[in-house]
Amino acid sequence: MTLKSKPLAALVVAIMFGGIIFSSAMGWWQTESTKEAAVYTEGEFAGQANPADIRGSYTFGDVENNFGIPAALLVQAFGVQTNDPAGYQVKGLEEMYASSEQEVGTASVRLFVAFYLGMPFDLSTDIYLPESAVAILSERSLNPEQVAYLAAHTVPNPSGEAAPTASTAQPTQAAAVEAQSTPPEAVQVTPQGTPRAEGTHEPSSDQLVKGKTTIAELLEWGVTQAAIEQVLGMPMPAAAGMTVKDFCNTNGLSFETVKAAMQVEVDNAK
Amino acid sequence: MITVFGKRLRLFRPRSIWIRKVVQWGFFALIALIAVNHSLAESGGGIPLIASASLHAVCPFGGVVSLYQLATVGTFVQKIHQSSFVLMLIAFLLAILFGPVFCGWVCPLGTIQEFVSSFGRKHFRKRFNHFIPFKLDVYLRYLRYVVLAWVLYMTAVTGKLIFAEYDPYFALFNFWTSEVAIIGLSILVVTLVGSFFVERPWCKYACPYGAVLGITNLFRVFSIRRNQTTCKADGACSILCPMNIPVDSKTIVRDHQCISCMECTSEAVCPVMATVQFSTRGAK
Repeated sequence: MTLKSKPLAALVVAIMFGGIIFSSAMGWWQTESTKEAAVYTEGEFAGQANPADIRGSYTFGDVENNFGIPAALLVQAFGVQTNDPAGYQVKGLEEMYASSEQEVGTASVRLFVAFYLGMPFDLSTDIYLPESAVAILSERSLNPEQVAYLAAHTVPNPSGEAAPTASTAQPTQAAAVEAQSTPPEAVQVTPQGTPRAEGTHEPSSDQLVKGKTTIAELLEWGVTQAAIEQVLGMPMPAAAGMTVKDFCNTNGLSFETVKAAMQVEVDNAK
Repeated sequence: MITVFGKRLRLFRPRSIWIRKVVQWGFFALIALIAVNHSLAESGGGIPLIASASLHAVCPFGGVVSLYQLATVGTFVQKIHQSSFVLMLIAFLLAILFGPVFCGWVCPLGTIQEFVSSFGRKHFRKRFNHFIPFKLDVYLRYLRYVVLAWVLYMTAVTGKLIFAEYDPYFALFNFWTSEVAIIGLSILVVTLVGSFFVERPWCKYACPYGAVLGITNLFRVFSIRRNQTTCKADGACSILCPMNIPVDSKTIVRDHQCISCMECTSEAVCPVMATVQFSTRGAK
């Protein structure tokens, strides 16, 4: 069989566009990310969204949807000035921090999310965070390795941007060394960079509903039993130490949905 | 049509496959439109009814570099979407049937190289596309497999679209954005300048996707075939082959560099009817 140029042209065009039309009809033609991060497939966090899969095309709202960290907090962490925190694209950070000596971008958001949620993250590469993000992380439980990593990977906020709390300096190398010598796995870094042991834990000021949040914590934050039960749609568990997530899993509720509604109650109770 | 010494010759024949140019520039315009619209959409605008997909989403090579991650982790490399995988499959289907027609008929980077080459051909005439010594050229042709191996390895190790920084195709349609890297722009400029001297320099020596598709030349269904009995051995097919393949010394072109452009066939430069054809085995 011999093929001339015109039939070949027709076949090339037909197969190209026919293939695209066919794949569209089958639902295979996706030119954008689904904005659903890949999940851990094994280990303690199996089934949960993996921060390493955050993409530059994600907005802070997408990050919030996947990981439960409010877009407003991300805006604060990265010193972004915007009227639409949820609509801010992660890749915009690269441009914003273009003048920084070290790159702050998508990888920085992945690192921030992982540290914020206490999720595993590969620290074999150098990823930098602005002072404001480090200041927020200093309120979280970090292990000595993470403390030391942050101490060595902090960059100043862009000029004109202030860190969220006064003198929220980056953790110093000395602090990191001190942290390494602290035996407990959970060590916290104060905004000034001084690690403190778990026993001297101070109440978190951000009151975020996340996977580890217990019913008792919700009550402590001022959310009434009635409000909790209204969100859950059923009586709350007798064991107040039970996490909201475990309760949702046990009762077939969507944790993401409950989390969002519960966060509203927490915010209202402030 | 006249007959000379028993061979049928055409007095007036086209110098090139014009329909190929139409298809090439059609795809070029389409990709350019998508790239521009993507930029507009990023800034809150965009032209209605026109796809605003990123360039990565409409590049089949993204599917190739994602294969390892897809097999091991179940996800695509960052910036790559399912559409890249679909296009990769379509391009493979085309290549198995017709050889690397994606390179010769679709790829916009090939189109722009040919466009620049048209000026080089007019300027240098017979010297055009013959500047690189054969002994060196024959080895350089395998460089693109080295590039392919490096891209696949680096992408597998890092999980990132490493090649985007170096990709002249990405630079061509993103030179106005901050996404393009200086190295990519530099490679694009070198490629376009090189095209003034050599036909498709990027395709010949560096394109990793061309390397992948080139392998299908070994087993494709339709191939360039030369009829030895009617061939008058004037060498026109070899001289004008953009990829410098010695068509006049082969009965079937299995060269890994063939892009199925059909410029060597009796429809274009070969003056003898039905002598160099694009056909299946056993075709008359």
